[in-house]
Amino acid sequence: MVLTQAAVSSRLHPIAQSLSDQLRRHLGPDRVITDPTRLRTYECDGITGYRVVPALVALPESTQEVALVVEACGRAGLPFVARGAGTGLSGGALPVADGVVIGLARMRKILDIDVVNQRITVEPGVTNADISKAVAVHDLYFAPDPSSQTVCTIGGNIAENSGGAHCMKYGFTTNHVHAMTLVLPDASVVTVGGQGEEGVGPDLRGAVIGSEGTLAIATSITVRLLRKPEAVRTLVADFPSAEAAGAAVSDIIAAGIIPAAVEMLDALAIEACEAAVHAGYSLDTAAALVVELDGPADECADGFRVVQEICVSAGTTHIRIAADPEERAKIWKGRKAAFAAMGRISRDYFVQDGVIPRTRLAEVLARMQTMADEAGLRVANVFHAGDGNLHPLVLYNGTVPGESERGEHLSTAIAELCVQMGGSITGEHGVGTDKACSMPKMFSEDDLAVMKRLRAAFDPDGICNPGKIFPTPRLCGEKPGPYRVHPLEAAGLIERL
Amino acid sequence: MTDVLALETGGHGGLVERPTTVAEAAQLLRDSTGSVLFRGGATKLDWAGRVHDPDLILDTTDLAGVLTYNSADMTASVRAGTTLVALQDHLASNNQWLALDPPTAMTGATVGGLLAAGDSGPSRLRYGGIRDLVIGVTLVLADGTVARSGGHVIKNVAGYDLAKLVHGSLGSLALVAEVVVRLHPKPATSITTSGSADADQATAAALALAASPLEPAAVEWISDRGRGQLYVRNDGTPQFVEATSRRLIHLLAGLGITADPLAPEDAVKAWQNHTAAVLGTQDETVLRIAGRPSDLADLAGHAFDSARKAGVTARLVSSAALGMHTVRLSDGPAPAQAQAFMALRERALARGASVLLRHRATELDDLVDPLGPPPDSVGLLRRVKAQFDPAGRCAPGRFQPWY
Repeated sequence: MVLTQAAVSSRLHPIAQSLSDQLRRHLGPDRVITDPTRLRTYECDGITGYRVVPALVALPESTQEVALVVEACGRAGLPFVARGAGTGLSGGALPVADGVVIGLARMRKILDIDVVNQRITVEPGVTNADISKAVAVHDLYFAPDPSSQTVCTIGGNIAENSGGAHCMKYGFTTNHVHAMTLVLPDASVVTVGGQGEEGVGPDLRGAVIGSEGTLAIATSITVRLLRKPEAVRTLVADFPSAEAAGAAVSDIIAAGIIPAAVEMLDALAIEACEAAVHAGYSLDTAAALVVELDGPADECADGFRVVQEICVSAGTTHIRIAADPEERAKIWKGRKAAFAAMGRISRDYFVQDGVIPRTRLAEVLARMQTMADEAGLRVANVFHAGDGNLHPLVLYNGTVPGESERGEHLSTAIAELCVQMGGSITGEHGVGTDKACSMPKMFSEDDLAVMKRLRAAFDPDGICNPGKIFPTPRLCGEKPGPYRVHPLEAAGLIERL
Repeated sequence: MTDVLALETGGHGGLVERPTTVAEAAQLLRDSTGSVLFRGGATKLDWAGRVHDPDLILDTTDLAGVLTYNSADMTASVRAGTTLVALQDHLASNNQWLALDPPTAMTGATVGGLLAAGDSGPSRLRYGGIRDLVIGVTLVLADGTVARSGGHVIKNVAGYDLAKLVHGSLGSLALVAEVVVRLHPKPATSITTSGSADADQATAAALALAASPLEPAAVEWISDRGRGQLYVRNDGTPQFVEATSRRLIHLLAGLGITADPLAPEDAVKAWQNHTAAVLGTQDETVLRIAGRPSDLADLAGHAFDSARKAGVTARLVSSAALGMHTVRLSDGPAPAQAQAFMALRERALARGASVLLRHRATELDDLVDPLGPPPDSVGLLRRVKAQFDPAGRCAPGRFQPWY
């Protein structure tokens, strides 16, 4: 049966129908989506295991229009979820059933470039890479560089406090934002941060960055730009074991060098990357380190020599030095393609994002291997070795009964192992929906209660991206994906309506 | 741990308590009512609005000490009352440091106080401010609730970043009880290059340096009345900093600034003078302006003009490449200092900069509104205050009339 638009709309809940009519009057029919087929485009972000179809999607094009949509949601009592490019890896932009998705992809204007003061003001839908592109002619760039940078938006970077391969030296999004215009959940518009490095009073800008879209929607963002480094040197060093590679990283840092980036790939990860993009990594090595230094030419050359010496004494079997920017780009293309490339060696996989103190790397890798063996699954490792941010990829085949559950269990166990080691469940992907149930492993009830006080100050009615970050009985008692009988339900203690 | 000597309170008549642990601090707050002033090194007690006669002063002097130090991971956690000087001493044996050099460190600033005030020094240019270096925090709310955010790893996005929230809150939201920081290797060498420069030259130098690949660690300009002295510090290996200093001298010469590298002992002296110039003296009015680096000459010009018109003396220390300026007004009666302050603040706010009143003689309190016009986020600030400190106990008056 083919449903007409009118027929589809008539199936909306009366409250959503009224909201949809109202928003269509203001935004026009093209920028309010209620057609079920088109709505499905918005049902998940980069974590496709969680899917919820929203009641409607609004596509505002200005701060005023965002405020208008937010106000209408508030009046209707409907929750809303802001969404950039939908590349997030924690279900942070997962819609709320019967709620509204505010898609910011149409807000992609560059509002101002201040070359001498090295800053740019953009709308939230501008992609991370387009910021750097817009100012490249001035020898400037935006430092945070998440792997999804050609697609992901600055609004999403704000929500997630995105880092990237170079954040060990250059920090995260929060270290590079001067000011933001926010639409608060009560539809008021405020400015946080300012032109200067410091303001007067609590740093609301810092509190909002990394809040995963649960406090406000940023509609205009001024970020700091950096002068491109004079020199960049990159090498790939092969090691007979991940432990040897990890020891080299420790020695580099102990020598007082802060590399722009240090990445590690294990044999499985290399196999996948090579199959996908042929970046020239050695297929016969147990582990490879990508080390990049940047800075003034003299300093960079000095450090690069020291790094090579350290790799040699740590037992490297082969060092490949990028001869030119093209070769460097190829090395990075291989590294940044790692997640997407996993499809080449495994039908399905779970990505984790745990962080450990770097010095416990060898111990954690060994524990992970044991856990993987016990689960009968393979784990590929590609990670930011400099700052201890692991990205273990748990490989499984969803068509084999039980493998998906074992994979999910192993993946969660790895994240929680990171907390036991004094680390974090997430270094850059965010908590979102995916890791909300692991939050009590890391934070006490009081910690979470105080964080909720902050949320209550911004969003007393709980309509701004609800259900994320904080564990809820509903989320944590049930599993995502296909319906499964809840243990309490099976025991006859609860009923499903 | 209790004393009631008025002498101890620095003019505040309330009870002084010195807890030694987070649990003791929490107990003290749970077991008390009334207003409370959190006090660390007492180096910033009159920043922003003044807190009058708190019922309790919770002094963090004994809430001190390094809790963990992992030199290989370059992280440390400290009790909030640990002075920055004590922490740096602790780290020096491993050639590491918390990359902060606020002048108030010299008068006893504590790590917790630095976070609560958002205080920083010249090295912010290269290493960031304390907001960029804190990776975890333990807070105690006025009702005794203990809450942590962040952790012990540099990279971590789990949960809200409460350390950012209390940054700049000046004790108005919660007690900062413990702080986890990321550390840096100490630079092998530093060279400070210095030359005479007026405001226009200093502005041009700051912008040219930011646009250059030289990556200076600090660019400071000290001036009283027009002419001034520029100081540029480079950190790194000896070979590198010497080469960079030569390139720097060449760059500055192109702007009409004749600069030379300072001998090590002269550099030490120069930075000591810089510290003294930021701190000022008792009877001065000291304000902090943060804006765009390109506005340096404009703001400096207005600082000297406003001072001249009011019949007072202005001195300026600028973190030129950061657009941050400490302005000291002295030598006149309180009404004259107030007049100069108001005029300069008006100009700075018109340029989009922020202005924090740091010190002033008590007579000025009746003459100026310390905070100025509220930001458009004031309603949100009030809601945050109401959530964190519903009874309004923490530092009443600090942000009056904003909240």
